[in-house]
Amino acid sequence: MDGNRRSNDEAGTGWFVTSAAVALIADDSAVNRMLLSRHLASIGIDARETADGKSALAALRESSDDVAVVLLDVMMPEMDGYETLAAIKSDETLRHLPVIMISAVDELDSVARCLEMGAVDYLPKPFNPVILAARVRASLADKRLRDLEIAHAAQRDAFLATIERQKSELARFLSPQVAALVSSPEGEQMLAGHRREATAVFCDLRGFTAFSDSAEPEEVLGLLREYHAMMGTHIVEHGGTLEHFAGDGMMVFFNDPVLQADHVERAVRMSVAMREKFAELAGRWSKLGYELGLGIGIATGYATLGRIGFEGRYDYGMVGAAVIVASRLSSAAEANQILVNPRAYAAVEEMVTAEPVGELQLKGFARAIPTMNVVRAHGAESSSPVLSGAGRGEGAP
Amino acid sequence: MNADLPVIDEAVLDELRASVNGDEAFVLELAAAYLAEGEGHIEQVATALASGDIAAMVRPAHTLKSSSAALGAVRLAELCRAVEHAARDGQVDGLAAAVAQAKAAWMETVAAMTKLGLAGS
Repeated sequence: MDGNRRSNDEAGTGWFVTSAAVALIADDSAVNRMLLSRHLASIGIDARETADGKSALAALRESSDDVAVVLLDVMMPEMDGYETLAAIKSDETLRHLPVIMISAVDELDSVARCLEMGAVDYLPKPFNPVILAARVRASLADKRLRDLEIAHAAQRDAFLATIERQKSELARFLSPQVAALVSSPEGEQMLAGHRREATAVFCDLRGFTAFSDSAEPEEVLGLLREYHAMMGTHIVEHGGTLEHFAGDGMMVFFNDPVLQADHVERAVRMSVAMREKFAELAGRWSKLGYELGLGIGIATGYATLGRIGFEGRYDYGMVGAAVIVASRLSSAAEANQILVNPRAYAAVEEMVTAEPVGELQLKGFARAIPTMNVVRAHGAESSSPVLSGAGRGEGAP
Repeated sequence: MNADLPVIDEAVLDELRASVNGDEAFVLELAAAYLAEGEGHIEQVATALASGDIAAMVRPAHTLKSSSAALGAVRLAELCRAVEHAARDGQVDGLAAAVAQAKAAWMETVAAMTKLGLAGS
């Protein structure tokens, strides 16, 4: 009979089985199995019959997904009810199954033992269909609850996995600092915008336009990939926030969103390290006939930082005169020059060797800006990270 | 000692019929299964007694007790209970007499069920 699809049971209690529910019966008496199956069928539950504990366990291990309840006789050949119950309760995949012991009234002490071992209930023999129905239904309700819990847990896991994926995707597209900020409680406030001193670094390639006009697209992209990878390593190593890549150019800033007391030093050391590594790449490219140079501009000043853009495409950005100065200095820089504005230079004077390149008249600025070119940095290996506090203050020659 | 209990308590059979909505075919099927497996159980009890393996009597006596009770064979059920408990407790005294009584009750039960039209063909 297709009991599982019934919308109502014979007793008209309104209780119904919404999904296939099976009761596994283990009883060595054919008479008992037949009676149990029959009574279960009348409340819409299919029975799977086994004649001893061993075969019951085998049946469960083969498939237990649809089993809502196990009905176990105490005295059985092969494996008795105690052993079977113990095996079920010690099996990670089966222990959730409610087990109801089948017991004659003169065996109540054995029932107590089974309840202690994890059985949920017992069914007195001879069977009373009403009690049978009530006890089995209680177990079915448990199963449905458990199934719901499992479904909810799966949903929650999927949701958390999505968030984690978004976070790691975010971390791939954003700088790690901004990705962390977005996920932090202060994130919204920070994103809304704030003003602080920060150091902007612009860099781009000399000779890139000519190169990209003449080279094959694959070569252009290949070279950019190599260049970006190298630059990216240094940005992360020095704790810079990458605002954007644009072809051969990129902008990085320091002291935001994470405060860095040594933000100017970090910017300068990163630039020096990049220049050094770039020389290695440029040497190889030169052998292929491509003459490329790196120009860097650094400027420190007050700026506004936060979310810039429009719905659907926001960047975490830095806006202010220092950004423009850094950009102009980067354009003005010759190959391998690191040009810094006076405020940035003042902060690192002690730890760098620099030469004046004169007062530069930058587009958009009324006054000429006295500019220095950083020749080398002292104290720390130029290619070593300055992330840890240990590197700080060691600038004096 | 249990001669006062009826061989078949028809009230139990009536309850059984009611619990399956008067499905007489099912009751006949159940009675056939009972008689078939009961035969085996009573033989196992007798064999265990003959071979002196008292412990081996417990399970068949127990199972026959419960199926007998389900079909209203109350006299046999009670005698099986006595055998089961005596065997479990190792009470050898009187055990042979109890088994003999159970065997007699089994014969009476088969006869009574045949009379009631439950023994089938």
